[in-house]
Amino acid sequence: MTEAVVVDRQFDDPLQQRKASDLGMWVFLATEILFLGAMFVAYTASRIHHPEAFAIASRLTNLTLGSINTGVLLTSSLMMALSVRSTKLGLRTASIVFLLATAVLGLAFLGIKFTEYYLDWRDHLVPVIDFAHRGPHAGEIETFFYLYFFMTGVHSIHLFIGIVMVLVLAWMAWRRHYSPDYFTPVELGGLYWHLVDIVWIFLYPLLYLVSRT
Amino acid sequence: MITHPVPAIRTYVLVWVGLIVLLLLTLGSAFIPLGWGNAAINLAIAVAKSLLVIFFYMHLRSAHYVLRIAATAGFFWLAILLGLSLTDFVTRY
Repeated sequence: MTEAVVVDRQFDDPLQQRKASDLGMWVFLATEILFLGAMFVAYTASRIHHPEAFAIASRLTNLTLGSINTGVLLTSSLMMALSVRSTKLGLRTASIVFLLATAVLGLAFLGIKFTEYYLDWRDHLVPVIDFAHRGPHAGEIETFFYLYFFMTGVHSIHLFIGIVMVLVLAWMAWRRHYSPDYFTPVELGGLYWHLVDIVWIFLYPLLYLVSRT
Repeated sequence: MITHPVPAIRTYVLVWVGLIVLLLLTLGSAFIPLGWGNAAINLAIAVAKSLLVIFFYMHLRSAHYVLRIAATAGFFWLAILLGLSLTDFVTRY
């Protein structure tokens, strides 16, 4: 039923190989944290200097769509976690269904996000291309929207990569590549998906909830 | 065939319920005027949500300590990046 697990020659056994893969993935995730962290540092420095402008700008974001999207992404993480669990137990069909559900929710997130971009564009909130906001803090509000588009854009690119990855995983699961003896790609894919989710967990309050009172 | 100890589906679903409740809390709290308290609550809830995801969905709760160190290292260096950058940005003006 299952293929023999291939152990590369530098490893003693499949368990050591899997532990090495897990460690490698976490080291990669640490580089991602620092790469994405730089954007958060830029955001923090700007917000400390322009608190009023960030409060006004945050009220111009679409709270309804942003909140729904947060729920969509949190649910996708549940689907991903359940898929990893199913794969470990050898429940192939359930694993594929959960992977596809993850991908569908990821696509729904991107669909809502791009709807939001369209509304921002319609409201003339896109820096450089069409930014028409006037008032005492116009320049600083534009800075906020630079950060908004850059941070959510980088996040969306990560999510897009994640969706492609999840679909490939579903295809490989369909081809019976994974079993309780070998599920490393699904497990590592799950770690990546959850990290992208965590990035959004921080983006949501920083961009949408600065000041709503 | 190796059998793996996996958490119950219930655990995963309960964590999801917790995440959604925290999302509603952070959303609701944003409409109560608390000054700097709003930012503090938002940040605390974001950290709580992240810890739920990290410990339960990313399995760090049951992970080998080497993995925990690797995971902590990322956030540790981020804290240095943020802390040292802000020593400049907070004091310059």
